[in-house]
Amino acid sequence: MNRRELIQRVTFMLGGVMAAPLMAGAMGEVLNSEPGLVADDLQERLLAEVADIIIPATSTPGAKEAGAHNFIIRVVRDCFTKDEQKKFYDGLGKLNDDSKSKFGKGFVDLTLPQKNEMIEDATVYNKDFFREMKNLTITGYFTSEIGATQALAYDPIPGRFDGCTTLEKGQKAWAL
Amino acid sequence: MNLNIDAVKAQTFDAIVIGSGISGGWAAKELTEKGLKVLMLDKGKQLEHVSGYENAMKNPWDTMYNGRLTVAQKESHPKLARDYPYNENTEKYWMNDSDSMYQEEKRFDWFRPDIVGGKSIMWGRQSYRLSDIDFEANLKEGIAVDWPIRYKDIAPWYSYVEKFAGISGEKLGLPQLPDSDFLPAMDMYCVEKEVKKKIAEHFPGRIMTIGRVANLSEAQKAQTGVGRSGCQYRNKCSLGCPYGAYFSTQSATLPAAMKTGKLTVRPDSVVKEIMYDENKNRATGVRVIDTNTLEVVEFYAKIVFVNGSTLGSTSVLLNSTSNRFPNGMGNDSGELGHNLMDHHFKIGASGEWEGGKDNYYFGRRANGIYVPRYRNIGNDKRDYVRGFGYQGGGSRAGWNQGSDAKAFGADMKEALTKPGPWRMGLSGFGECLPYHENRMYLHKTEKDKWGLPIVVFDAEFKENEAKMRIDMQNDAAEMLEKAGMKNVRSYDNKSYPGMAIHEMGTARMGRDPKTSVLNGNNQLHSVPNVFVTDGAAMTSASCVNPSLTYMALTARAADFAVREMKKKNI
Repeated sequence: MNRRELIQRVTFMLGGVMAAPLMAGAMGEVLNSEPGLVADDLQERLLAEVADIIIPATSTPGAKEAGAHNFIIRVVRDCFTKDEQKKFYDGLGKLNDDSKSKFGKGFVDLTLPQKNEMIEDATVYNKDFFREMKNLTITGYFTSEIGATQALAYDPIPGRFDGCTTLEKGQKAWAL
Repeated sequence: MNLNIDAVKAQTFDAIVIGSGISGGWAAKELTEKGLKVLMLDKGKQLEHVSGYENAMKNPWDTMYNGRLTVAQKESHPKLARDYPYNENTEKYWMNDSDSMYQEEKRFDWFRPDIVGGKSIMWGRQSYRLSDIDFEANLKEGIAVDWPIRYKDIAPWYSYVEKFAGISGEKLGLPQLPDSDFLPAMDMYCVEKEVKKKIAEHFPGRIMTIGRVANLSEAQKAQTGVGRSGCQYRNKCSLGCPYGAYFSTQSATLPAAMKTGKLTVRPDSVVKEIMYDENKNRATGVRVIDTNTLEVVEFYAKIVFVNGSTLGSTSVLLNSTSNRFPNGMGNDSGELGHNLMDHHFKIGASGEWEGGKDNYYFGRRANGIYVPRYRNIGNDKRDYVRGFGYQGGGSRAGWNQGSDAKAFGADMKEALTKPGPWRMGLSGFGECLPYHENRMYLHKTEKDKWGLPIVVFDAEFKENEAKMRIDMQNDAAEMLEKAGMKNVRSYDNKSYPGMAIHEMGTARMGRDPKTSVLNGNNQLHSVPNVFVTDGAAMTSASCVNPSLTYMALTARAADFAVREMKKKNI
């Protein structure tokens, strides 16, 4: 196989993956227009606790303090289809049920090591939920005021551009 | 008609400009500065400079969904939601799909703004001159019709508009991509400097340069004079710039035109048709539908500039029927609506750079890089005609760099707060030939909410474009590989007409009234006081971003029109 063929094969595979989300919109797929699912109190607390395991407080605050769960609730409610919403909250419910089976307590009431263990389990047994939750948590956290200005370097009006600077020791990634 | 004489007088101007986007703004500026009393119409809402840019200064945490579309928005905008220009933060700038009804015999993505300033607010700002390689191509290859102008005819007008608009870039002296009158070039990212060097080493005839962009790298008097200031490197242009740092109607041509005291702007005005006096063989004005009251209003003028964007302008002409022009104003040739073009794109390659770990950047450049066309130039001969250029650029990933699928917790968090890998992408923009059968036309019975016939699209990319895309994809990967990038992946995400939002043609310029709609001065062959100076006028598409050419054609045509008025020819 020559190099050109190789490139085309790679593309073919990649193209298939990338085209899918685009085409969903393009085909004018029927989506839901009723109001989306709003998290109940337990779900809200669960989301905050799970998010805080995914992005915990370190030298900077974690996802819970940054309010990442509020972003997650909003996006799931307004930007997810009905099926996606149900799948997401079913996954969250499964995590809580699994906590009860394993430790006899809901996720919120677990110790920190137990919570970590449950999320570790979820990366294998509740994979889709974990992936979705992780993506939402990362976006929710790093675009929150705390995440953007404390965990990252935030400069809304740089005023100039230098395309190649020296990276300072310990320099944080830009928020924007 | 029972309008009294005073009322008619109040509705009478020297010139009417239909549309307020890039070319409409230029028409208004040039005509008012030459002393004409001008009415500029737009179907969209008023959008005030600075105060109207509601999302421009928002922090990420001030947005609801970090740019995502809601399910409701996807439902109300099934067509617009197909692509990125429509998102949470630009929602108000685009027309609702329910207002922008159109039909597709073949898929066509039509992005229609709903604001004064049109797409000059959301445009990509890449600004390149056409060359004689473009202007001569149709003639040399026997394709479509010859452009009625050559580079020398438009070159002084490119300079003229560039000095006012402000185009940042690097001089290269290439025959296929003439240099503009540039503001200082923007810097390149480390990874771009590396790729640029390696492309020059490995590929004679290929050059990577910084994008030529209508952002003020350094504001000159011509720009500060209308209240503009330099780029702040926020890279939020499409939200509207509170600094007036990129060229738009609101930042540049509108304040210049307003300064003359001779401009009236009327938003919420859909033009139904251009009125025509058969005895005088002149357009007499326009008939407008007020989008708020649905009232029909007439305005009169000595000349009409049609700048409603390619498809808008041609729709107006097609709908302007009379005994003399049963098939649309100026449509003796039957070419009106035909030869629809757009650039084909969404194809290229990207890779990662393992170098530059100790380097970073400051600021967010609202610009990319450019690789000017090199195919079918000089001795290069391919199995297709014309060519393509690459846009793209480097970046160093931040919190969105990704992580191991199972990773979570403190280590992952810390890793995401450090700069990730450098990446580099090249994305081709290819020329599409002017095929007669690629067209838009007005539906015979279906009407939109203002009672105007809806547009139907029947256009597709064909074999020449398909062959070109093989090179567009492979060359990009080859260059990145030779440049030492790792994990190079090429892609073809499929491109449909309209997607590049570079729609062109449908009222082409030409030398012969039998085969073209406009002459070399953008004047309707058959109605001398009507000018079309937006993308509709394009005889071929070139592969470069077209807006700068609309600016130059407009300024040139306005100069011609006013001279003709003075000579009493129109």
